[in-house]
Amino acid sequence: MAMASSKKTKMTKKVAFYATLILLMVVTLFPFLIMLMTAFKSSGEAVSTSPTIFPKEWTFQHFQDIFNPVVFPYLIYFKNSLIVALTASVLAVTIGIFGAYALSKLKFMGKTTINASFYTVYMFSGILLVVPLFKIISGLGLYDTRTSLIITMIVQTLPTAIFMLKSYFDTIPDDLEEAAMIDGLNRIQIILYIIIPLSISGIISVFVYSFMVAWNDYLFASIFISNSENFTLPIGLNALFSTPDYVWGRMMAASLVTALPVVIMYAISEHFIKGNLTEGGVKG
Amino acid sequence: MKTTIKKGKTDFKLAMVLLFPSLFLLLLLVAYPMFSNIQISFFHLPINPRLDSTFIGLENYINILSDIEFLKSLGLTVLYTALAVGGSTVLGLLVAIFFNRPFMFRKTARSLIILSYVTPSISLIFAWKYMFNNSYGIVNFLGGDVFHLFKQAPLWFDNPVSSFILVVIFAIWRYFPYAFISFLAILQTIDSSLYEAAEIDGASAWQKFKIVTLPAIMPVLITVITLRSIWLFYMFTDVYLLTNKVDILGIYLYKTAFAFNDLGQAASISVILFIILFIVIIAARKRVNFNGNG
Repeated sequence: MAMASSKKTKMTKKVAFYATLILLMVVTLFPFLIMLMTAFKSSGEAVSTSPTIFPKEWTFQHFQDIFNPVVFPYLIYFKNSLIVALTASVLAVTIGIFGAYALSKLKFMGKTTINASFYTVYMFSGILLVVPLFKIISGLGLYDTRTSLIITMIVQTLPTAIFMLKSYFDTIPDDLEEAAMIDGLNRIQIILYIIIPLSISGIISVFVYSFMVAWNDYLFASIFISNSENFTLPIGLNALFSTPDYVWGRMMAASLVTALPVVIMYAISEHFIKGNLTEGGVKG
Repeated sequence: MKTTIKKGKTDFKLAMVLLFPSLFLLLLLVAYPMFSNIQISFFHLPINPRLDSTFIGLENYINILSDIEFLKSLGLTVLYTALAVGGSTVLGLLVAIFFNRPFMFRKTARSLIILSYVTPSISLIFAWKYMFNNSYGIVNFLGGDVFHLFKQAPLWFDNPVSSFILVVIFAIWRYFPYAFISFLAILQTIDSSLYEAAEIDGASAWQKFKIVTLPAIMPVLITVITLRSIWLFYMFTDVYLLTNKVDILGIYLYKTAFAFNDLGQAASISVILFIILFIVIIAARKRVNFNGNG
């Protein structure tokens, strides 16, 4: 009797657990479901006052539209975003590796101060520097160029990149380096042949982090870029949204395709890397 | 042995070479702008770089500190930060405790939960704006026509109060996965025998949380709260793109600079915010654990 009831409570607990889990998933994922389904709805159905979650009629028109440069300048924005995010993250990772190595493995005066100031910058927010940065970028003649964004995005992500990379490098034992030195490798060779291969998973997460920040940036793009030829996805899509002739399905299809690169990168790094992708922290 | 002794002498040069690009960029585009901000804040500065700026002393500061709109924005930002940090931290912790056990599809569920955190703001914002559309949004349909939760739906993103509530919920939804991941990682390190011991002593669930869980997660809790508070206090993008009815400080600063073209005034706001940030950082420094590298 007692055993049966304990089995029963266990069962009830299990059901309650999975019910809560399903509820949690539905609530957190609901906006994604709406985004996905609206992308497949016809333009008329998207503005129906008695909406259904699933499309009554499925259409791929919106996806065709966003990849058609005559209808929608999506590909231009996508290309700009890709150039900015890729260049900025490759450079941030490269510069970061050397900086992080120095802070992790070398002994020198002023190290503590440099470390502390990097951590302080890590907490900074871009919004505090918009006024002087706008002046500097204009002064350098970089206004309305992708270069302005690449440089700012490197600076935005570099402190975090160094901070994350340093914590990976710190776990590599010094003996390994000493052995390599005895074998006649210099510091640069040690970085290239020992440090980088050993912390490749960390380097990938730093790359993904930097890419995400640059891909997501609206603030600086909205200040530095004025010509629609140079628009990145966030400012380009928002500009289209402000015009009266936006089409919901098209915006949702664009939103999905915009999210795709970072979600895929995230999924891949989640799958292959034990490390914690959220270390960097999305600042918004 | 020789190499170790020699190493101490040559490291400084090498370190500077390796750090040069990082230091150069951060000095040019973070340190210099910081000081430049202070300088600009004492001037009336036209947005056209060819026009001369005029020195006006403390006028920008006097203007801003006596501006009721600025003080309102400050209050609104503090409230936004407190609610969103509190909400996302508590929710993140609850979900982490919920996930801290083996179950089917755990890994998949964990990855899906983080989706709102990794997706670009611009994509999420379109979905929210569409869901809360005043004429054909699904929220009005479900809340009004199906479940009759309200008779007259608020004008969601077109009304200051409902917009404020929505941007807070958006922030909680978007940022709780960060707390969730951080807490889940630390929860997994807690020795289960501690819970068993507490159970033998007859501790309730709440007591177990207070005696075992809370002390163990304390360092992470403080870090999550501090970092998220700083980042949300300076929030711009999410709120700016969702609504024009909630002017938190980031937006107030942005509008002063690029809508009203008053760069001097905007610089003085930045300086005031810097001072607030520095006080918080200094206060937090001893307590916040930067993944054990502080």
